[in-house]
Amino acid sequence: MLGYAVRRVSGAVAVLLIMSAVVYVLFFLMPANPAQLVCGIKACTPDRLALISHSLGLDEPLYLQYWHFLVGLFAGRDYSTGPSIVHCAAPCLGYSFQYTEPVLQIIGERLPVSGSLVIGAAILWLSLGIGIGVLSALRRGRWLDHVVNAIVLGGLAVPIFITGLMALMIVCVWLQWMPFPTWVPFDEDPVLWAQNLVLPWIVLALTTMPVYVRMSRAGMLETLAEDHIRTARAYGLPERQVIGRHALRGALSPLITLAALDIAGILTSSVLTETVFGLPGLGQMTVQAVRNVDLPVVVGLVLLIGFVIVVCNTIADLLYAAVDKRVSVQ
Amino acid sequence: MTWRGSSLLVAGLLLAGTLTACGGGAQSASTAFDANNCQGGTLDVLNQDDAASHLDPARLYTSGGGNIPSLLFRTLTTRTRKAGADGAKVAPDLATDTGEPNADATVWTYHLRDGLKFEDGTAITAQDVKYGIERGFAAELPGGAPYLHDWLVGAQNYPGPYKDPNGIAAIETPDAKTIVFHLNSPHGDFPYLATATQFAPVPKAQDKGADYEKHPISSGPYKIESYDKGKSMVLVRNTNWSRAVDPNRLACPDRIEATYGLDPAVINQRLTTGTGKDGDAVTTDTDLGPSELAQLDNNPDLAKRVAKGGFPYTYYIAFDNTKAPFNDIRVRQALSYAIDRTSVVNAAGGSSLAYPATTFLPDNKNMGYQAFDFFPAGKNGDPAKAKQLLAEAGFSNGITITLAHRSADFNQDGPKVATAVQDAFQKAGITVKLQSIDSDSYTTTVSNPATQPQASVEGWGADWPSGGPFIIPIFDGRQYLAGGGNFNTAHFNDPKVNADIDAINKITDPDQAAQRWGQVDSEIMKQAPLVPLFHTTQLRLYGKNVKNAFVSDWTGVYDLSQVSVK
Repeated sequence: MLGYAVRRVSGAVAVLLIMSAVVYVLFFLMPANPAQLVCGIKACTPDRLALISHSLGLDEPLYLQYWHFLVGLFAGRDYSTGPSIVHCAAPCLGYSFQYTEPVLQIIGERLPVSGSLVIGAAILWLSLGIGIGVLSALRRGRWLDHVVNAIVLGGLAVPIFITGLMALMIVCVWLQWMPFPTWVPFDEDPVLWAQNLVLPWIVLALTTMPVYVRMSRAGMLETLAEDHIRTARAYGLPERQVIGRHALRGALSPLITLAALDIAGILTSSVLTETVFGLPGLGQMTVQAVRNVDLPVVVGLVLLIGFVIVVCNTIADLLYAAVDKRVSVQ
Repeated sequence: MTWRGSSLLVAGLLLAGTLTACGGGAQSASTAFDANNCQGGTLDVLNQDDAASHLDPARLYTSGGGNIPSLLFRTLTTRTRKAGADGAKVAPDLATDTGEPNADATVWTYHLRDGLKFEDGTAITAQDVKYGIERGFAAELPGGAPYLHDWLVGAQNYPGPYKDPNGIAAIETPDAKTIVFHLNSPHGDFPYLATATQFAPVPKAQDKGADYEKHPISSGPYKIESYDKGKSMVLVRNTNWSRAVDPNRLACPDRIEATYGLDPAVINQRLTTGTGKDGDAVTTDTDLGPSELAQLDNNPDLAKRVAKGGFPYTYYIAFDNTKAPFNDIRVRQALSYAIDRTSVVNAAGGSSLAYPATTFLPDNKNMGYQAFDFFPAGKNGDPAKAKQLLAEAGFSNGITITLAHRSADFNQDGPKVATAVQDAFQKAGITVKLQSIDSDSYTTTVSNPATQPQASVEGWGADWPSGGPFIIPIFDGRQYLAGGGNFNTAHFNDPKVNADIDAINKITDPDQAAQRWGQVDSEIMKQAPLVPLFHTTQLRLYGKNVKNAFVSDWTGVYDLSQVSVK
């Protein structure tokens, strides 16, 4: 188990370092120049551009910039804001001259927003998706199954910015049940927090759910046809126990990996949901950072995305073992 | 579904929603706006992006045009907060007048008003204004306009107050209320420049360099209560400001709450519907979307709430006049005749968002606009005349040119407009090969003579509403910068025009200068150095409880310092 953990962690660290290096190289290949961007379109003479490049540390060769980044990661770095020096403590992911704050701090401010979004949505889509999927498998071929199939197909086909805008239209404009949602932090007012997140949760769950419905339906049908279920039934176990204890376990294991990836993805890059519902989360920040050629923030976000995916995958592997006893962590 | 298809669907949905929503309750009769009784309430600002990429007076570019910055930063002069052409004039702000020039407009003196205070109650001094200007020279605080670097005597290489605390010698502050600027050449436009946020006072003791933008010290009617960059900002009244010391800003709302990071369709929908607090909302960065444009004709209630204006802007086709085939004036004239401005305007979003240009100056009185059309192409171009001119120039089989455009359509210099130009030119025997250049590097590529494409779709906006900043960078032959950052892409260099520019720079009466800029425009355009395409118009919605949302010819959008939600 310890050996497994060590292998797993060192593999993850290597992957993250390679990712950060790739992002650095990609940024240097891009046509846009961050110094040009802050210098302004009309205002920039070549002399001034050189001065600004120097103050941003962009005049250094690529390998040196990356080296400074690595040093900062383990030992921290200092940045000049003009009259004073700002220290970015280790692990320093860099300092954004756009936000004038250390990258880790900026990400920390946005993470609760994306976290709130994904938690509620995940609870909804997992419970509804699996519930409906299983139900429709048990009612295979009946009207409920057909209705579910149709809805699922519809949900798969409509992109989230349409579902999102439609939901806003119906709830906030036609029915006027609530004002347009805004972001309220949980520690400020938990009730308002939830109220404002209900719509994005539902919309996100509706667009993510269909795959879960389909997979749990298919998995359930497959498991129900297997020998051990027949055996269990032959032994006279009650149907509820056959389904709950024996069939569900086999049917659910593939969903765990999928859920891990979906949660990681939505946590870090649900750009459309965040802009439609006015949630200042990580997805929105990614788009802004790429537009502003804010390399430190982009590298920080890439590392975060990588980290979250690695963590979610590890959790998925552990859960997999817990759900399906045939798999053991070795 | 294609992207275009889905956005049409969204537009349709929103349109349907709005029609239903507007069928409902009757609007309450609103009382007329009264400046003396407009104070109170909370104004909401719904934006796609932060109102400023850096809320630091040293780093803001637009000359006081920024709507929210102007609520926090008072400057030596400012724009008159009036509608239309009257709003494109300079008014004193911190200063008692718009500036006292010497005989040749190379020395400008300003005196500060009495009773000026920062938000913390300390007095605003001339030294604070000087320090604010010097900060703009620091490489740590990039983004401001370049004019002061070029105009102040011996300031070209000043590294900013952090590296050189001695400051700029060309700015004198003989006492706490007087500030004197020494310029290296005459600049009658100096009062316009003094509206820029670089002319806002910054107390040295509170300067935190790049961190200053987190809480800049206000000299205006509001101060920052909270600011979360890219997310939200709350402004409350600055109790050390009053109308007695500021004749320009009305500052009606007690509180201003801005939300950033919203979807443009959602912003327009919220302004249209105006439920709850959204009735008191405005936007400072979102123009009307397709679904609102589509219903303007049939929805008078909505149309009433659209502020229409134009930030002075011109789109044109640029090419190097010193290179073949454009070195032959007949070829340049042929291009002007061949253009179909109706199709180009349609490509730019239709007649509500653009109007055809035959002059370089936009239709703006203060900039000196004079109507002329030296190469009348009519509504749809005159391909016959163009062909004839090309034949005279020795190109009876037509010519082939490469036309560069921005890769995306978010400005109006993208593929749509370029394609419209291509179609029109085809009829006149001019074959156009389109060259798409990545949006992020477009300006850098086009403004460097070494990488400049043969022809390109370009746009130019005014830093202030005078002919100077509109005409000089584009047509002054001495401003041709071979090393990059060059906007004289026509490579235009006419000694008579250069001499006229120098003469007008000495004029300190804006009306007289405007008159002369108009003449210079016509003198230049007779030579067909570029093909003007269109000028742009802006349509912006405001909430149903918002009053006094008028538009000036300076900014082209409504002004938050004047609106009321009471």
